[in-house]
Amino acid sequence: MRRAQLIAREIFYFFTLLTIVSLILEIIWPHIILAHFNLNWLFSLWLLSALFLLSKK
Amino acid sequence: MFSAFLTKRPFLFKLRLFFFSLILVFVLAFLYLKIVPFGRITYERHWPSGLKSGQGFIYDFSPAERLAKDELYPRLIGDPVYFSLFTPRPFNSAVVTIVYRDHLSSSTPLVELGLLRDKVTRRYELKPLDNKILDTLMAAGGWRREGETIFWQANGAYADLNAFQADLDAGQLKDCSSGPNACLAVYNYALTFPYNLPKETTVSPLELKQPLRGAEDFYVYVSNNQLRLDFNFVDLNQDKAPDPITVNLYRGGELVNSQFLPDDNPRPASGISENKSLSLKETNLSPGVYKVEVKITDDVVIKNLKSSVGKLAFINKVWPVSTNGDLKLFTDANYLQAKAFTPASLQTLFFAGQDFSLSVPYEQFTFTSASPAPVKEIKLTKDDVILENNGVFSWSAISLFDPTLKKVDSHFVLTPAIKYIVAAYQPPSENEGWKTAQTEFDLVGAYRENGRYGFLISIPGLRAEDGTGDYLEIKEIKVELTGRTLWQKIKALL
Repeated sequence: MRRAQLIAREIFYFFTLLTIVSLILEIIWPHIILAHFNLNWLFSLWLLSALFLLSKK
Repeated sequence: MFSAFLTKRPFLFKLRLFFFSLILVFVLAFLYLKIVPFGRITYERHWPSGLKSGQGFIYDFSPAERLAKDELYPRLIGDPVYFSLFTPRPFNSAVVTIVYRDHLSSSTPLVELGLLRDKVTRRYELKPLDNKILDTLMAAGGWRREGETIFWQANGAYADLNAFQADLDAGQLKDCSSGPNACLAVYNYALTFPYNLPKETTVSPLELKQPLRGAEDFYVYVSNNQLRLDFNFVDLNQDKAPDPITVNLYRGGELVNSQFLPDDNPRPASGISENKSLSLKETNLSPGVYKVEVKITDDVVIKNLKSSVGKLAFINKVWPVSTNGDLKLFTDANYLQAKAFTPASLQTLFFAGQDFSLSVPYEQFTFTSASPAPVKEIKLTKDDVILENNGVFSWSAISLFDPTLKKVDSHFVLTPAIKYIVAAYQPPSENEGWKTAQTEFDLVGAYRENGRYGFLISIPGLRAEDGTGDYLEIKEIKVELTGRTLWQKIKALL
């Protein structure tokens, strides 16, 4: 149980960091990610991971 | 501390290492796509669009009123239609392939693709996708293909294009006593030949007092080694963008002289007009035809122009404004496209002996004349009308001269006088009703803003308002880009 919670937390951290990195890349070079990938999917995954983590707590 | 974390919590360490690796792969993958280290990449877009993972590289067509609504494939019903291509870095060349279905009538025989070269003058370099006039001609015979070039002859006077070019360089073609301009037509092909005025005419220096709005190109014929052009401009300051002025002088495509006047006004949209002047002077020119390019925005008016040479003809377009009374000018084309820029400019205009009604503002009308006269008169009673055709315009018949060859465009008519046609053209291939056409652009010097190159699809004569129901459907656009590799870039820096 504790391990599942740990993984959920790390997944949340992963999506948080990935979102921040994506935003920084987009600010430096506009369209570098948006041309290939819709960041709304990433935000959705980040939000889901956050909700899952909160529900476990 | 790190080793303690590693021994105490090995699972967490492995998990974080895995996620960091994923982020690193993510960043490296997008950097690879940004840099394109091998210098080659292909972007494409297909219709109908499925679920898109990203915004893509080829952006939607505009303006919306030239596209039919709610169709499976983008349906072009007006001319021209614009789209843009986003690239993460500049490239040197682009091979564009378009798959389309053609429901066009015989009045729209041309489909061309254009690349935006100059933002100020909105100049597009046009390349052929489909030319039905040439397709018909090729089907009828009398032509030979030499590489990308098609050479058509009415009477088979030449064995090949080289023999033809040799005679053209000498200024005299077989079976063509009136000179190359009378019996030769080209399409997408730059033929060089020594242009001579049809007869020796002495024309005194010219002063054009008619104000002209926006960018203009014109030819001048220099016969005595000297050229002086004095421009007076009025910057209307109605647009917030700055209005720099550039005047370029070319000889056979080579830049001979360039004059530049920056716009230093900190309030370019103040509405207060500014007078500006600029001169171009050359004293050691070889006699012949020169092209002058006046690069200005539509916020600037050429108030008057003094030219040391009298043979001066405006190319393809004029936009007379601020006229006192009637306006009379001349052209050599057999058609005239006119657009009233304001409702106050609506009128009945006179062209080649006929009256034509310019009855709707902001809409381009095409008036065609069957007159065989080489020079046709145009009379306007009101100004602020944009006049366009594929010929030249001048304010006196004696000033008019056209050093260009006839173009096999939508207004081309194959008359018995035309003995030769030279074109760089590859007809589109066809499969199950879908045509595939390909063309290549040199992207060096092309206009690129916010990472985007501007393109247009031109189908001259296609009008959404005419109710004929003709259209062109696009199924696929593919752009193969080639540029410098990462290693070439590094080498250049070292």
